[in-house]
Amino acid sequence: MNAARPAARPAIVTRVLEQPWLWAYLGALLVWLATITFTQGQGAGEVISAALAFGTFSVIVGIGQMYVITLGPGNVDLSIPATMTFAGAVSMKIMGTQDAMIPLGFLIAIGCGASVGVFNYGLIRLLRIPPIIATLSSSFLFQSAAIAYGRGIKIKPPPILADFATARIAGLPILALVTILFAALMAVVLHRTVYGRSVVAVGQNPRAAHFSGISVDFIRFVTYVLSATLAGICGYFLSGFSGGASLNMGAEFLLASIAVVVIGGTSVAGGYANVSGLWGAALFMFLLVTMLNTFGLGAGVRLVMTGVIIIAVITVAGGKSANS
Amino acid sequence: MKRLLATTILAAVVAIPAGVSADTSEKRIALSNNYAGNSWRQAMLKSWGKVGEEAVSAGVVAAADAFTTAENQVTEQAAQIQNLILQGYDAIVINAASPDALNGAVREACDAGVTVVSFDGIVTEPCAWRIAVNFKQMGKDEVLYLAEVMPEGGNLLEIRGLAGVFVDDEISAGIHEGVAENPQFNIVGSVHGDWAQDVAQKAVAGILPSLPEIAAVVTQGGDGFGAAQAFKAAGRDVPVIIMGNRHDELTYWKEQKDAAGYETMSVSIAPGVSTLAFWVAQQILDGQEVPKDLVVPFLRIDQDNLEDNLANTEAGGVANVEYSLEDAQGVINSGS
Repeated sequence: MNAARPAARPAIVTRVLEQPWLWAYLGALLVWLATITFTQGQGAGEVISAALAFGTFSVIVGIGQMYVITLGPGNVDLSIPATMTFAGAVSMKIMGTQDAMIPLGFLIAIGCGASVGVFNYGLIRLLRIPPIIATLSSSFLFQSAAIAYGRGIKIKPPPILADFATARIAGLPILALVTILFAALMAVVLHRTVYGRSVVAVGQNPRAAHFSGISVDFIRFVTYVLSATLAGICGYFLSGFSGGASLNMGAEFLLASIAVVVIGGTSVAGGYANVSGLWGAALFMFLLVTMLNTFGLGAGVRLVMTGVIIIAVITVAGGKSANS
Repeated sequence: MKRLLATTILAAVVAIPAGVSADTSEKRIALSNNYAGNSWRQAMLKSWGKVGEEAVSAGVVAAADAFTTAENQVTEQAAQIQNLILQGYDAIVINAASPDALNGAVREACDAGVTVVSFDGIVTEPCAWRIAVNFKQMGKDEVLYLAEVMPEGGNLLEIRGLAGVFVDDEISAGIHEGVAENPQFNIVGSVHGDWAQDVAQKAVAGILPSLPEIAAVVTQGGDGFGAAQAFKAAGRDVPVIIMGNRHDELTYWKEQKDAAGYETMSVSIAPGVSTLAFWVAQQILDGQEVPKDLVVPFLRIDQDNLEDNLANTEAGGVANVEYSLEDAQGVINSGS
């Protein structure tokens, strides 16, 4: 805590300013304001609705990635894109566009994800391969399995699943509302349950966690399985949302899953996590690209601006947490 | 359709011996291909294999063998071309890894008396023939089609490909040229869809709320279905979206056509362009006068031949056509 802060500032303001998730939401708000100023207010609500719809998928995989990263240095799940593709392709093909198969398809997507997680942790624990290499190499295996299984065919989702994934209530995507509730639940799990607190403890100091009676291996195992399972669920709904499973559908979520975690205020070094920041970061990432597209800037300028703005937000947010 | 094409080719093949000036039945043609790792290239090799086999069994040529390098490397393909020269092929048809880095090997082939025909990935060495794709014209054709079906004009949304790639710049330049000539059209937004349906869907969904009413979407192929999904999700009427011959795009078009009389057109390059190069090489060996620079015809799908083309397109693939000797002669004559 910084002793030099002005005494006049009310405690509640200071408390809010210290929240690491604040900067992601602030960034999202500023980018949104810039966009609607440019369009003179047109489409202000629809942009938010679209940001929620697409942000949903980044948040689902972001939650899993956040738990993994919180386990401490070196922990990251690079198999998320392959898991999404694998689970999406297998569940869509088995459902074969029949509405009656939707629940079974969902269980299959979960099963695909969970087995990738078990496999990942098997590589990490039994073969003692570092997580980065283990999850990367398993992603090659499962991506290849998806290619061999799907043969590049875009298999359509059952109509009811497609309708659910794109449905809206009062302009807000239902899937986004469900995911907001799910994120709230996962925040409670992180802060209020033995499992969640154990993840944070392992991330802060695995030795200390071990001596205080936490089964470090078990916590890590559960976390990798959780991340892969969420990736499987995300692949299932994304296939429903975008009209089928395609082989490159997970590609952009490798970077996105890590970016929403970091921009959202979770410590890359582990041991400190933040669920609410994920949504702010996901909205920010989508709105940023939308703003630059709306301005009609060239592709080169857009990419440079995206990089610069992300670095700026991380610097501002990271600088604050370093002071406290 | 496929059967009909095959019959046409066979008929052409049988008819040849009467009208030729030199006999090519002893000639051997090789395909030097730099890459096989996507569905387009797989279809390209399949078409070559099919037409080549028919030509060999009909006695038009002695051999039509395909060789693909494993690593998509210039050095590897140069070595492959040298091997093909040593093996005594009379003509080498090339889809090249680089427009200029293979020129040394191509020169060697020419000096050894081998006919070299490059297509798709062309080579700049003057002694070789080039069958190039006019991407700029492809972009312009999209706008010309729109000017035909909606003479009153309107707002356009442009979906571009992968930023920084030559093909993206060319198609976009063609679209902008077409719009400059048809000022009733106005490009109100432009996003990069990376030739992928999901990327296009996300980019279009983001920019759509800020845009006025869109009359049509001009695309580069592989992005039309994603754009349609984005319009649907935003609760907007789906405008005329130019498609790119992909199976999912054609399927969507067919569904909308049956449901609500949706009208558009679709254009791309058929992987079977390899068979056009085959017949051009055969014609050169035959002693015909062939200009050095030829242009690949577009495979354009319109409202009336949508069903035929869709039935002919593999699920997950791209619409294809194999070219006949007459097609090749048509291209040669229009090029001279």
